[in-house]
Amino acid sequence: MVKAKVVIRNLTGLHLRPAGILCNKAILYKSKIQFQTDRTTANAKSVLSVLGACVKSGDEIEFICEGEDEQEALDSMIKVVEDGLGE
Amino acid sequence: MFKGTNASAGIGIGKAAVIKEVEMVIRPDKVASVEAEVQRFRGALADTVAQTKALADDLATKVGEKEAEIMNGHLMLLADPMMTGEIEEAIKRDSVCSEYAIETTCTTYADLFASMDDELMQQRATDMRDIKTRMQQVLQGIKPVDIASLPEGSIIVAKDLTPSMTAGINPANVTGIVTELGGKTSHSAILARALEIPAVVAVSGVMDKIQEGDSIVLDGSEGIVIVNPTDVEKAEYTAKRDVFLREKKELEKYIGMPTLTKDGVHIELVANIGNPDDVAKVLQYDGEGVGLFRTEFLFMDRTSMPTEEEQFEAYKKVAVGLAGKPVIIRTLDIGGDKEIPYMGLAKDENPFLGYRAIRLCLDRKEDIYRPQLRALLRASAFGGIKIMIPMITCLDEIREAKALIEDVKKELDAEGIDYNKEIQVGIMVETAAASLMADVFAEEVDFFSIGTNDLTQYTMSVDRGNEKISYLYSTFNPAVLRSIRNIIRCGREAGIMVGMCGEAASDPMMIPLLLAFGLNEFSMSASAILKSRKMITEYSIEELQAVAEKAMSFTTAKEVEAYMKEFINQ
Repeated sequence: MVKAKVVIRNLTGLHLRPAGILCNKAILYKSKIQFQTDRTTANAKSVLSVLGACVKSGDEIEFICEGEDEQEALDSMIKVVEDGLGE
Repeated sequence: MFKGTNASAGIGIGKAAVIKEVEMVIRPDKVASVEAEVQRFRGALADTVAQTKALADDLATKVGEKEAEIMNGHLMLLADPMMTGEIEEAIKRDSVCSEYAIETTCTTYADLFASMDDELMQQRATDMRDIKTRMQQVLQGIKPVDIASLPEGSIIVAKDLTPSMTAGINPANVTGIVTELGGKTSHSAILARALEIPAVVAVSGVMDKIQEGDSIVLDGSEGIVIVNPTDVEKAEYTAKRDVFLREKKELEKYIGMPTLTKDGVHIELVANIGNPDDVAKVLQYDGEGVGLFRTEFLFMDRTSMPTEEEQFEAYKKVAVGLAGKPVIIRTLDIGGDKEIPYMGLAKDENPFLGYRAIRLCLDRKEDIYRPQLRALLRASAFGGIKIMIPMITCLDEIREAKALIEDVKKELDAEGIDYNKEIQVGIMVETAAASLMADVFAEEVDFFSIGTNDLTQYTMSVDRGNEKISYLYSTFNPAVLRSIRNIIRCGREAGIMVGMCGEAASDPMMIPLLLAFGLNEFSMSASAILKSRKMITEYSIEELQAVAEKAMSFTTAKEVEAYMKEFINQ
């Protein structure tokens, strides 16, 4: 299991479009990919779960990946967030 | 006559097409084969996805990519493994039909979104209910309401328009929309405005009052719906519609035209914006740039300070969107009247005379002002950004802010980060002190922008929110007019640009005076730009001098207003 923290920079937080981009990236990996906020844990492969976490701009989230390609998955998730999720 | 919320401007006249969804009865019916039921669900899901894809493509070609995003969002939700997994799980666990499994699963999510304290998330509840209904309709073999084939002259009357229904609207045949639910920012209202279809929403009980085929008149600007109007009413609204369309058409002629007065003086006609998404509107109404970008939105409704990076992205987006046109960005203008918990601002006894705007920023350089200035300078490499400092009252503030900007520039030089080395720095002139010192300040800055709302408030010592003393709050008060005239004169004598970003800049009675005083730049809400351009091109600054002189000879606001009213109506 590997973990890393990242801050959400999108102006409107993880709303539908950025959440979709995040999930489309997550499903490319075999590992279980989750992220934690200070309130809840979300499944990064599910748009509904990501939306349900209600992540706002400036919030810090921690990705937790577990599986055969966990390190690769983690790096990729951090990068897609840092790249601004399409915004 | 019914009152509702005015959601999309214009007059609609036509016959009611009442949209009623077929009522579906969803019961927890048991199924014999769980495996077969899961297959049945998967088949329906695939059909719904195909249907949604078709709607998205149709919308993209008919209206635009941005509007199609709503349908693309539905596709993402339909593809969600958690939702489909839970539906299949429910079928297997309880041996129930797909319809019921969908009902319980989707409703749980819709309720969850509806309970969230965030408007964007609350809209997702509508999306969840929409895809729920469509999957169930596919399962039951019910055809979705065919809005696309409504006849010409139809006025859609519905409880609420789901996003998928709105996507099917043919703007050539639909002349109006009336809904019982919804609000100004609901999907249907946004799309109605994009399609330029007049709409009135939130008309309570309207479904019981309108029958299929009823004659309907609606005023989307006023939020009025009339069922079976009299001939007189019909004639009145037909005339109103013609005026609305004629004016709209006439104003469209001014798109792409330069803003030149009759005697050939170029005036800069720019927009006030509140967030980066407003750029689309500025371009739509042919704004020549942005005269005021309020940066407060970046700091509101959140739990921590926006980072330099976030701010940089927002400023860059506007600069790039306007492709080199001027973009005046005002640094943070906030004080004790706003609730921003993470800033730890104490409640001010007198917030508008207190610790706010530049006073606060210069006191908190490291955590607030430096990051904002760094973001602004970095973004200046991507377009025509100018920095504007709000609420200046004395020279020391200007010098201190400019020194900080120079310091940030050195920092960026050292880090090898690109920025516009010639970036202009100007001030808002909105306090009585700044107006009296305008000749001195003009030597220190690159431009002035007159904020008439605050200038009036501070000059007249009147709280603009207080109804009891609203009689004092008039920009036509001779004291305010003298102040404005003085500011413009001082700016011109120093050879700097003088603009205005308060409401007065788009006031038809004020524009002739401002032109006569020599104002260079008028900044207003984007939707007022074309009307103002039309007005400006009809005046000659030379001829207006006599008008201004006469107006300034009066000694009360009432007299000035009466005179200007008479002048613009002749």
